[in-house]
Amino acid sequence: MSKQFKPRVARKYVGTYRPRIDAQEKASGRALYADDIASKTRFPNMLYAKILRSQHAHARIKHLDITIAQNLPGVRAVLTYRDPEIASLKPTTAGWTDGVDTVSYDRMMWKPFRDRRILSDYVCWVGDEAGVVVAAESERIADQALRSIDIEWEVLPFVLDPIEAMKPGAPVVHPEIAPDNVLPPDPVGGPDAFVKTPSFLDADIEKSFAHADVVAEATSTYHNANHCSLDNWCCVAEWKDDKLTIWSNSYEADQTRMFVSQTLGIPLNSVRIIVTYVGGSFGRGAIGDRSFFILTAILAKRTGRPVKFRHTRRESFCNTRQPVIYSGKIGATKDGKITSLYFKGIGNVGAYGDQPMFALKFAPTEAAAAAFAHIPNLKMEAYGVYTNKIPAGIMRGVGNSELNLILGHIVDVLAEKLEMDPIELVLKNIGYESETLPDKSLEAVLREGSKRIGWKNRHRPGQGPTYDSTKKRGIGFSFHPGWHTEWQETRRGQIQVGIKVNPDCTVTLYAPTIETGTGSNVCNVLGCAEALSFLGIGPGDIHWVATVDTETGLKDTVQTDSAVSFLQSEVMALAAKEIKTKILESAAPKFKVAPEELDIVDGRIYIKVSPDKGMPVKEFLWEGDLVPIIATASKRPSTENTGVPFMATFAEVEVDTATGQVQVLKIVIVSDLGTVMYASGAEAQQVGGQCIGIGESLTEEIVYDEATGVPLNFNWIDYKIPTMVDVPEVEPVLMEVWRGAGEYGACGMGEAVVTCTPRAIANAVYNAIGVRIDDIPIKPEKVLAALCKT
Amino acid sequence: MVLTEVSKPAAVAVQRLDRSITEVLDDQLRSFIKIRINGEWHDFQVERDIQPSDSLAYLLREKLGLTGLKVACDEGACGACSVIMDGKLVLSCMTLAVEANGYEVLTIEGLEKDDPVVEAFAEQSEPGYGTALQCGHCTPGFVMAAKALLNVNPRPTLDEVREALSGNICRCGCYAAIAQAVLHASNKIAERASKR
Repeated sequence: MSKQFKPRVARKYVGTYRPRIDAQEKASGRALYADDIASKTRFPNMLYAKILRSQHAHARIKHLDITIAQNLPGVRAVLTYRDPEIASLKPTTAGWTDGVDTVSYDRMMWKPFRDRRILSDYVCWVGDEAGVVVAAESERIADQALRSIDIEWEVLPFVLDPIEAMKPGAPVVHPEIAPDNVLPPDPVGGPDAFVKTPSFLDADIEKSFAHADVVAEATSTYHNANHCSLDNWCCVAEWKDDKLTIWSNSYEADQTRMFVSQTLGIPLNSVRIIVTYVGGSFGRGAIGDRSFFILTAILAKRTGRPVKFRHTRRESFCNTRQPVIYSGKIGATKDGKITSLYFKGIGNVGAYGDQPMFALKFAPTEAAAAAFAHIPNLKMEAYGVYTNKIPAGIMRGVGNSELNLILGHIVDVLAEKLEMDPIELVLKNIGYESETLPDKSLEAVLREGSKRIGWKNRHRPGQGPTYDSTKKRGIGFSFHPGWHTEWQETRRGQIQVGIKVNPDCTVTLYAPTIETGTGSNVCNVLGCAEALSFLGIGPGDIHWVATVDTETGLKDTVQTDSAVSFLQSEVMALAAKEIKTKILESAAPKFKVAPEELDIVDGRIYIKVSPDKGMPVKEFLWEGDLVPIIATASKRPSTENTGVPFMATFAEVEVDTATGQVQVLKIVIVSDLGTVMYASGAEAQQVGGQCIGIGESLTEEIVYDEATGVPLNFNWIDYKIPTMVDVPEVEPVLMEVWRGAGEYGACGMGEAVVTCTPRAIANAVYNAIGVRIDDIPIKPEKVLAALCKT
Repeated sequence: MVLTEVSKPAAVAVQRLDRSITEVLDDQLRSFIKIRINGEWHDFQVERDIQPSDSLAYLLREKLGLTGLKVACDEGACGACSVIMDGKLVLSCMTLAVEANGYEVLTIEGLEKDDPVVEAFAEQSEPGYGTALQCGHCTPGFVMAAKALLNVNPRPTLDEVREALSGNICRCGCYAAIAQAVLHASNKIAERASKR
């Protein structure tokens, strides 16, 4: 098992192994989630909302009769697209923002793709929200009401495949936005093609390949995995006069308040969003159906009662990772210097353009500086294509996993052609733009990972021994530049925290961020304890306020990019300084000296020149006016460009050539984090991320009936999530090589631990059987088909 | 689960004594069920307090406010709703409330404050495994599954733990640490027994 991580800078609390602060509450079942709060025992008068879902991949409502539904006993409201309060709502997108920042309607990120109507007569995929929402005394009655609606559809032709959708004459999903189904370029995503060709001025990447000694090509297809957070999308809305309160399990509070306020046209201070614990996010909610907040609020207004809207498991399949068909071409000199690199991605956006261009354009463009800066000729093209499938966008990373699948692939193919170790090929060519090669962080993670997986014993593809007469083993790796460093988070604006030192010298910490499981709450407490260590207190003396409430709290630092693990701690250092100043100022009269002549160390306040004259801070505070000492601090993330660290995953697999079954034997996951904020939590991310990582690699995929566009596995029986027997030994390796700005210089990691797993496994499968499988998940039938071709 | 005829427990019989004859007759005319939940007997009148199609999960969460168990998949795929019924692990989303008639149901709220399994899950943080929970939504289900295992197999091997808990999904993926926590809980139980 893995060795204990040793921090670069020894600190008292930050970087330690310890239990989570919420562990006891969660392990004993006392932690409350939205669905627990929205229970009849707390809201006896509560109604239940249900929405009609489309059974057609593409259709328009021709005729609607709600008479029977309205007259059903127990039905309290039936709202349709024809009602004025619905019809007057502006067109929107699910992703006003990726959640990092708070934006208004006018400043939303994806203005060109305002393709969603809240409760429309027009549906674009099977599962789409369709025209009617009801509120009833029970979920059962609400369901019954929906079934009793007499509805006549104008069924339209549909298209599921993005390549087909790009062809002339294909059914068009949103004619007014994309007449040929291809999403237009936009200010955030940037142009369709990103080109960098300094050495061949004609900007023609194809010509540059003519100068290469060796050229390799590859394709990779990434499918549509679902977040599968256990905690189904849920909210309860309640009005008191003109004030609206919504309890939800969204991962963002301030932005939800903005969304509701702007959509319903009510002031910000009349909307209160309360979020307690959330049972997993993984990007769920940055995309998908957000309109249920609005519909629930309108139903609550109409009925004058609290209304709950809880998605079923089936309905929770309302968004997916952005699927991409990537093709790539790479050229190099004989000695392994990469001269040209070209990627083209075609993304199946699905029915709505929630965040596709982030995944398809922004992530590859960012990688150009972060990883491909030393490659002279570079072109990356990306197109998002509307189809009549589930909407796609963000899932545990924004496009990185998809890009990594082709990157790790093409590097492996080229290395084989060059007869070179792929690790050496990577180190010779990949690195951050301001780094000289080899990139120190990349070299550290690759050397460490290769040592732990036994890279030097790697055999040639398909040439290893056979086990149990049919099984072959192989190892593979993939790497990716990390992101979510402080300078990449400046779009967030000010990060706010507040520290309250109570008269008994305990601390209440206001570092609002929704606890979705990431462990940033522990990072916050450790950062606070570190910053306040002069008070002689520890993490046990600090209470982190877990409930995010837009009425009483500061702005929440949104639980995205896993950057909350350090962003708030950076600001706490400032707030702690202010706390110290305030204590010294209040102590100065007692000691009859100027505040500057006093200091506080290890919980004792004293006169600097005569250290024996002093007293415990706790005693001093207790003798005073018993008013807590409060400091709030706001700070914009540092813009200092400190480069990025690298992450890598190594995998060993066993492939049964008789059945096609792939079994992962071992995963080594190496993360350079700059500073590890909370070691047990970081390792939990590394080990835990492999549930999604291995699932996406081998089993998880939404399957459609191609003839009707009906998704067939919106449940956890047929959509296969790895369980305890499917996940092998995972060796987590934490490193601190790169360093960011600020007190800690850390970075986010929750996405990166998933990013490289599919490609590492796919390369390991190739190493085992000598045949490449270009699309994930690598199911037994694909392995057998590939083996049959040889 | 097969519905079985269960003799009336003494506690219920005593409780009945202060009821009027009309009520008793009413009991017989209508269908009453009795479930012992976390040590206390509860009576429910079918079609008034609960519907015949209500799941045990619905009864526990919505009628009694026992929200520790979670309903995540609502079709027996994830184990988040696991409770213990007469010592055996059951999926409360797949069990009808009326099926629990006469049985003893233990939810996570019914565990002792210093329950060794809960403690072991909460404490888990040693190097190499991560923590036994992150978002915590699946945790009550895992804790109950672990309890059911340790009740019949107090000293399980790692493989036995993995097999026994493979009906539960943790999307945060804390499987390795959960398995360690169960082994630690097993040690705790043995240590406490030896001290007695």
